[in-house]
Amino acid sequence: MKNSEESISEQVWNLPELHERVENDQELLRELVTIFRRDFPRTIRSLEEAVAAGDLKNSASLSHALKGMLANLGAARAAAAAAMLEKMASSAGEETSLKNALNALQREAASLLPELDAYMKEVRR
Amino acid sequence: MRILIADDEALSRRLLEKTLEHAGYEVTAVENGKRALEQLFKPDGPRLALLDWVMPELDGPGVCRAVRTRSEQPYVYMVLLTSKGSKEETVLGLESGADDYLTKPFDSEELRARLRVGERILLLEDRLVQARENMRFRATHDSLTSLLNRSAVMDLLGRELQRSQREHKSTAILLGDVDHFKRVNDTLGHVVGDEVLIEIANRLLSAVRSYDYVGRYGGEEFLIVLNSCDPNYAPSRAEEIRKSISNHQINTVKGPLSLTMSLGLLLSADWGPRPIEDLLHEADIALYEAKAAGRDCLRIAKPLGKIEAPPVAVQQAVRRRH
Repeated sequence: MKNSEESISEQVWNLPELHERVENDQELLRELVTIFRRDFPRTIRSLEEAVAAGDLKNSASLSHALKGMLANLGAARAAAAAAMLEKMASSAGEETSLKNALNALQREAASLLPELDAYMKEVRR
Repeated sequence: MRILIADDEALSRRLLEKTLEHAGYEVTAVENGKRALEQLFKPDGPRLALLDWVMPELDGPGVCRAVRTRSEQPYVYMVLLTSKGSKEETVLGLESGADDYLTKPFDSEELRARLRVGERILLLEDRLVQARENMRFRATHDSLTSLLNRSAVMDLLGRELQRSQREHKSTAILLGDVDHFKRVNDTLGHVVGDEVLIEIANRLLSAVRSYDYVGRYGGEEFLIVLNSCDPNYAPSRAEEIRKSISNHQINTVKGPLSLTMSLGLLLSADWGPRPIEDLLHEADIALYEAKAAGRDCLRIAKPLGKIEAPPVAVQQAVRRRH
């Protein structure tokens, strides 16, 4: 769990917000996390390939998809990173800044995924 | 109420689906714009739609544009879901034909409130359509008998005459008048008179085929159009219509009444192309002849001022059947 001193916007995963969004339907919440854990890895892999290949169009649409997924899940920080990447890809940003933005997204994902895993372990117990 | 969700992103789609199911909607969820159109174009398809802006195949605004190009279809209330926030994009979305838009991630309470707005609009549309249909019916039907009114049945007769001319077929025009109807009104009152007219209208309708026309031509006068009617059978069909009135008494609040109808028949094939007014005038002369011949009978209008009684065989055959 995150340190309580951190502000909401800095939370990696805002679970209370998600609870509210699913209207406390625990089963749905688990289902959404499962969908995310299934879809996220392959989407970010395709995104990594698109960025490496300098494919701006696909970079933009894939980061757009990730942004939506992350925002719905309540992962505001990662969603913001995906939004930044989408913006750069859409405005034909520099290759280095694109890669930096991707790195930022990957870092956010790296702190988010363990939280989701921990949650799933918790609810399955 | 049914609603369509179109979103290519599985998580968002599932979240929307569940949220709306909780809110009591019957949800259809698809993953791209093309599928969305397939659903919306189905006869009786959903009339509320929640469309993601960015989708493969066809995006949300594309779906809106395609739906709005159709005319004469029930209104579909469409809400675009977007993570885009700029004013230009909002304008673009609404210009494409969307009724509203929501930014993702959505707030479920706001989503439900906005969909209720949509439901109100759809309800309003249903009421308007219903009101229009009622007015259309009232404009073309007689308020007492619910038969076609004079102008409506004459319109249809005009079209039918042209069609039978084109297709070398014959239309049978029948003018029928209730015998001694004035006596009913004078002695038993208008309420009974109305009852009689309603019952006669029903009998006439039952005596013809579904694609024939029956209209109230005047007070107690009816115009019946038998479409594509073989001239050889027209007299016997007219006789059957006549018998449908005289065969059974009509029940009224003042007791059962025996009533009859006189009929003038005209076969368009006998006359060739003539103005509808002329043909109706000739049918009316035949009807007058039927009255003069003692009522409760049929007379056929033939060219050159000839009026014929139906062949005796026809009268007997019909009599035997009843």
